[in-house]
Amino acid sequence: MNTMTILVADDDPVIRNLFERRLKNAGYEVTVAVDGTEAARLLDATIFDVVITDLVMPGQIGGIELLKIAKEKSVDIDVIVITAHSSVDTAVDAMKKGAVDYLEKPINFDELFLRLDKIAEVKAMLKNAGDLREAMNVTELSASQTIQDLEIVNGNQRNLLDRLDAILSDPRAAEHKRIEQALRLLATR
Amino acid sequence: MLKILSEEIKLVTKYIYDISGIYLDESKKYLLETRLNAIADEHGCVSYQDLYKKSKADATKAIERKIIDAISTNETLFFRDTGPFQLLQHKIFPELIDARASKASALKTNLKVWSAASSTGQELYSVAILLQELLGDLSKYSIKLLGTDISDAAIAQASSGKFNKFEIERGLSRDKLTKYFTPSGQTWKINDLTRSMVKFQKFNLMQPFTGLGKFDVVLCRNVAIYFTLEDRKKLFNKIADILEPDGYLLIGSTESLTGICPRFIPKRHLRSIFYQLH
Repeated sequence: MNTMTILVADDDPVIRNLFERRLKNAGYEVTVAVDGTEAARLLDATIFDVVITDLVMPGQIGGIELLKIAKEKSVDIDVIVITAHSSVDTAVDAMKKGAVDYLEKPINFDELFLRLDKIAEVKAMLKNAGDLREAMNVTELSASQTIQDLEIVNGNQRNLLDRLDAILSDPRAAEHKRIEQALRLLATR
Repeated sequence: MLKILSEEIKLVTKYIYDISGIYLDESKKYLLETRLNAIADEHGCVSYQDLYKKSKADATKAIERKIIDAISTNETLFFRDTGPFQLLQHKIFPELIDARASKASALKTNLKVWSAASSTGQELYSVAILLQELLGDLSKYSIKLLGTDISDAAIAQASSGKFNKFEIERGLSRDKLTKYFTPSGQTWKINDLTRSMVKFQKFNLMQPFTGLGKFDVVLCRNVAIYFTLEDRKKLFNKIADILEPDGYLLIGSTESLTGICPRFIPKRHLRSIFYQLH
């Protein structure tokens, strides 16, 4: 079951429709944008798990700019860039800037689905690690409160014993006086 | 993954104890394998006994250092648990500064803090950031922040002041991140002022503490848990020796000194505990 939400930004209507159809058929929830500007507007309003964007798009916001916007919105958004075969260098540059992967045109959808599976797997593992950390924090907090309470109680008891010891071993006072004083200390505690 | 044989466990855990003081019992079989497998592989060892022999025979101690790095690597965060840092900010540093500043003979107010198991430096850098936030102008203070760790790799990373996004995103607020760090490629680098406040050096807590000097605050959090009871007693006794008479000791929030060092008295402030000498 594919549950990830995907935003596709591509100015070529044929490729855009192809993405929409293939991803929907595979069970993903897909939103498409005609260019970077529309994609940025959609990113502002909704959280997506994955953004697939063409590197070269008309207008102010190209693929690299969209990558930056997505990563600023949330580091958890994974961005896959699409590039022409001749411009792999640009794609590598995009990966240095935080893209998780790149695809060359023409799109091999089997390859894309494999990568999406990997992304979903990593996301699930991160969530699991986060849940475990959360559980660990709760346990640690509760344990630390118990231990600290015991530590203070123990410190007080030790202090009391030291004082009793000092009273009972005071050579200047008579024995019955020492005992009386010790008992009084215990009673007022 | 190379499996450790039951007869090798004793040999290897004893060796780890000898070189690091870290005590692993026989239930830590899995940990030994996951941490040491890559080193055994790298040196072409056919067994963990083989790795032990090669490490002992290695005069450069390179394998020994790798084993220590692998075994001692533990999670550390910026401002890990807020408790101790709130304690430092609202109680310990204000009290220390009051006490130290009243000695009019000294031109600068002295503050000496030791992070006894500094790992990759997050704890000590957090203290340095805290002091800047708290004191503002540092020119009136003479601040010594020392971080020590048994792992060369941890000391090297701490000294570099560079952290990746996973190491930095948790615990640090956005405004502190941009104020005290600069992005450098895929990593974040601590700013020069904060870096210049701290010093890191390799140190094994099993050694005598001679030459370290005295400290106002010792942070020894979540490290003694890896030691035997006897070694814990020795460790906290040595810490008591190098702590200023009115100094403060902080240990991990789930640790206890009960039955370990009667020279320390536990005290509570807000929801945290600190220790002072009798």
